[in-house]
Amino acid sequence: MAFPLGLAYAPLEAPIDQIASELGANGLPYPLPIHPNLVHLTIGLFVIAIAFDVVGALYPLEKRLFRFLALPITRGGFHDVGWYNLLACCLVTFFTVGAGFYEMLTAVPLPGVTSTFGLGSMTTMLWHGVGGVVLLLVITAMTIWRGFQRYAWRRDMGRQVQWIYLFIGVLMFALLGLHGTLGAQLAAEFGVHIAADQLLQAGADLHTALP
Amino acid sequence: MLELLPPLNDHNLPWMDTIHPIVVHFVIAMALIAFVFDLGGVVLRKPALHEASFWNLLFATGAIFVAIIFGQVEAGLAAPYGAARNILDIHTTIGWSLAGILSLLTGWRYVLRSRDPESIPLSFLAAGGLVSGLVLVQIVLGDELIWTYGLHTVKVVAAMREGLI
Repeated sequence: MAFPLGLAYAPLEAPIDQIASELGANGLPYPLPIHPNLVHLTIGLFVIAIAFDVVGALYPLEKRLFRFLALPITRGGFHDVGWYNLLACCLVTFFTVGAGFYEMLTAVPLPGVTSTFGLGSMTTMLWHGVGGVVLLLVITAMTIWRGFQRYAWRRDMGRQVQWIYLFIGVLMFALLGLHGTLGAQLAAEFGVHIAADQLLQAGADLHTALP
Repeated sequence: MLELLPPLNDHNLPWMDTIHPIVVHFVIAMALIAFVFDLGGVVLRKPALHEASFWNLLFATGAIFVAIIFGQVEAGLAAPYGAARNILDIHTTIGWSLAGILSLLTGWRYVLRSRDPESIPLSFLAAGGLVSGLVLVQIVLGDELIWTYGLHTVKVVAAMREGLI
């Protein structure tokens, strides 16, 4: 049997209508979204984890500089940051993705908007949602990999990480940046969970509608 | 004079999107985790966590000055309205204060670490907790500017240019 493209059926009532009366102007049952705040932790912790492992790996080059700065350092100290920050990142990111899915399922993007990337809101959300799960998977795999390097394979070595690990970490910076830009577009361009944008769309006067 | 400035896009910015919220990743995450790691270091008696805490705190302190520079430029272009004006004023005041407070905390920590890198006094832990609280207040204020008042979002900028706000 062939399946021609095109949705067979779309309900008049969107699923969000079932809980619409329990949501505020921002489309959430609470005043401020949670996902974007957890994102600060995911991105900050991941980037600094990799950055400090790079500093630890390049330690022989920078020893003199730190001596000049009168900042006592140990190579292990940099790798401590690389390990503990990534571990914290991995734990937090499960909640980042979880909160993200709650807030994406309750998203009401502004109609008729095309993003700077030339994508519609649904395509942007699909990429951001699937991308988020993929990033969580990679972060988790890298944390396990990092743990083996620290506690088993390289425990007696000065450089605690493999070059390929750092290379993949830096590649992840690009992915995180692209992924974060999609998320930023959902807010700043599609107005998802932004009370002012949603109220303007409803034709409200912001001077009276907002506190 | 004005024609020398770069043109502003539909976010009312001379660059693609707001940069301040990206830079603050590194202030928020690093300042908060510095406290969490210190707490973990005390509870679990793990000196490595204190070392990780020190570097995170140092990085947060460097990052906050970059965050303030972009924050000031983007605040200047934000055209806040209603109560957002007041919130932006408080956010700015706390932001500059946090730069000083984080610098002091890092200086204190530098001295403590020079004397004994393996542990910290409870007074420092308490100070870290207070500063973390202030960071959380600052996050809520910044969140209100974007998620409630939509500053620099395309929809609000369009309404502002049409004179609706």
